[in-house]
Amino acid sequence: MSRFPRLAAALALSLLPAAALAEGDVDAGERVFAKCKACHAVGDGAKNRVGPQLNDVFGRIAGTAEGFRYSPAMMKAGEDGLVWNEETLTAYLTAPRAFIKGNRMAFAGLKKDAEIDDVLAYLATFSQSGDDDAASAEPAPADAPDTATEDGAAAEPKAGEPEGAVVEAEAAAEPPAHGVFHLGRPATEAEVAAWDIDIRPDGAGLPVGSGTVLEGETVYTEQCAVCHGDFGEAIGRWPVLAGGYDTLTRERPVKTIGSYWPYLSTVYDYVRRAMPFGNARSLSDDDVYALTAYVLYLNDIVTDEAFELNQDNLATIRLPNEDGFVADDRYEEPHYAAGAEPCMRECKPGKAEIAQHAAVLDVTPDGDSDEDGSGGGID
Amino acid sequence: MPDQPSRRGFLKGGLAAGAALATATTAARAADDPAITEIQDWNRYAGPGVDAEPYGVPSPYEAHVVRRNVPWLTADPISSVNFTPLHELDGIITPNGLCFERHHAGIAEIDPAQHRLMINGMVDTPLVFTMADLMRFPRENHVYFLECAANSGMEWRGAQLNGCQYTHGMVHCVMYTGVKLRHLLEEAGIRAGAAWVMPEGADASAMSRSLPLEKALDDCLVAFKMNGEALRPGQGYPLRLVVPGWEGNLWVKWLRRIEIGDKPWHLREETSKYTDLLANGKARRFTWQMDVKSVITNPSPQAPVTHGRGRLVLAGLAWSGGGRISRVDVSIDGGRNWTTARLDGPSLPKALHRFYHAFDWDGSELFLQSRAIDENGFVQPTKNDLRAARGENSIYHNNGIQTWHVAKDGVVENVEIS
Repeated sequence: MSRFPRLAAALALSLLPAAALAEGDVDAGERVFAKCKACHAVGDGAKNRVGPQLNDVFGRIAGTAEGFRYSPAMMKAGEDGLVWNEETLTAYLTAPRAFIKGNRMAFAGLKKDAEIDDVLAYLATFSQSGDDDAASAEPAPADAPDTATEDGAAAEPKAGEPEGAVVEAEAAAEPPAHGVFHLGRPATEAEVAAWDIDIRPDGAGLPVGSGTVLEGETVYTEQCAVCHGDFGEAIGRWPVLAGGYDTLTRERPVKTIGSYWPYLSTVYDYVRRAMPFGNARSLSDDDVYALTAYVLYLNDIVTDEAFELNQDNLATIRLPNEDGFVADDRYEEPHYAAGAEPCMRECKPGKAEIAQHAAVLDVTPDGDSDEDGSGGGID
Repeated sequence: MPDQPSRRGFLKGGLAAGAALATATTAARAADDPAITEIQDWNRYAGPGVDAEPYGVPSPYEAHVVRRNVPWLTADPISSVNFTPLHELDGIITPNGLCFERHHAGIAEIDPAQHRLMINGMVDTPLVFTMADLMRFPRENHVYFLECAANSGMEWRGAQLNGCQYTHGMVHCVMYTGVKLRHLLEEAGIRAGAAWVMPEGADASAMSRSLPLEKALDDCLVAFKMNGEALRPGQGYPLRLVVPGWEGNLWVKWLRRIEIGDKPWHLREETSKYTDLLANGKARRFTWQMDVKSVITNPSPQAPVTHGRGRLVLAGLAWSGGGRISRVDVSIDGGRNWTTARLDGPSLPKALHRFYHAFDWDGSELFLQSRAIDENGFVQPTKNDLRAARGENSIYHNNGIQTWHVAKDGVVENVEIS
């Protein structure tokens, strides 16, 4: 444990009760685990998903769930001796990113000690060794495939040894069956789950979860208002999120989620993949439901603060401008439809007169003015 | 070298230099040119050796040839755009370091050894490729322009930015080396009913768009080289999608995944952005192709006429997402009369074309325009044609004819004319 100075610090901070596990409530823990279920499975037949399956997590060396592709940081932690038990899991769930810097779990952590106690009590029911006796755990390096036993030297790969070479040699012996060129390798389910985060208007791709307007307000205030403003009105040139109704035919259209966006799924998809700006993928799926609900509220599309958005009702909600889009018909415009040979001589009467100077606006960079252009931004 | 002067300083400096040059030319009959009669340092002293610059850079006298941005356009330079200095370039190939960039969450700095490309969705076998895997597919080389759909988007309501770098600089043209997207999709096995693909980037915006499968199977490339060397980080290193002739936003950089599906996804960049709002309040969506377009790059506001009357060479660029440029006409009187310009250099489909037109300038004011025609017969419209058809809120796909006013003193300005 001496290789984990952060652990000692975390333990000191959290002042763990010695018998925390015993104090946890299994039923309450199952409810807490709802926050984990989008990524982690546990119980009969549990498979790796976005996160590793959690059967027998107690006593498991970090980074060793079979078949799961961990971050280098998590594998390093296991190699350095981190074993999951009551103490280490408590420290990890308190502050996942601080406990193992660079690990891929996007979850921000459980804020209440009781929630951690409960969820660990729940998880312990799926572990053979529910205590913190790390020494008894069998190392099961995930990256050592079954073939390792064929080669004495590879049977117990040591840190730093080229385990990849074993895999490659295996691949060379049996070329993949797919395709024409037989290049690349099949993606694992967990890999596809980790990256396949897109959502369609019909709801395809939505994760299980929910969030209310009120919950969304809290997340929004903490994470979003600094750029988008308290009411979605935007600070500076950051995107306006709310309002703008009946402005699309005006000289200055205000294109918001309420006034312009055709589908609510786009909000969920975009927030989940790219927001908050500079800290993408840091929100939980429930947070994204809550934020999406809150944005509906900011746009007066829902008016009840208790309104809950979830995987079942998101695709049923219609945005006002859904019918505001048409197919590309540029080539039916008169100037293209004409198709005539262009005029070459005396095409316009009189001498050309200047109708407008760019220099009058003077918004070209390096000029003396710092005024905004009148033509609008490009994003 | 002087510091980069302000625009006005640059214009004034350029004119002063031009005047000085004219004097020198006239006076040369009487006075000898010290550039010839005096021995220059570079003619006497040995210069740096071959080890001075393992990766070469331009002459310090070219330090002003840089991309520039327009700070007021966007909220933050991390999600913004810079512009190619078209007025400083010639031919049809853009140097890698001068290709305009548009990022949505800054430049992803990716270790190619850690980069993966996944194909998933409606396929027989979801696949993962490493960069090394991709090198083992058949490679192709193609020259294509890439234009942002918002290029010239600031000019919808009238002349606004003074310089073709700003009005037209969201375009570049390089030779890409890559593999056909078709090979990668077929390697995974496309299932019946598939109609769309969704390329996705590995950057912090996870840039993503819906693209018709038909286009993906036609001429799209997954590219790892530009102009012979690895993609620059700002252009998607180590891997980007190439979607010839279609708007730049589709050319997903830092490409890490392509999903195949049966319907479009209606993602943020194809709903709230990159849709073209019309005067009636409706918006066109999925407006992918870039239309026939041209611009005179010299003279232009950043490149005034400094030599006085006499021989004047107009140079410009033309391009079309529909294929090759078949003809470019130029006008020096604001579109009253037109002359067909000379196209020079390779004429490649969906690539920039270079044109020139030389004439003797009598020193009177000029209204310069260019008008491109592509191999499908599409003629570049005027800006007022476009405004009449679409209004002024479209932002995207402004391919209208540009007018430069050349004053008697050689100063050039972006104008709208009668």
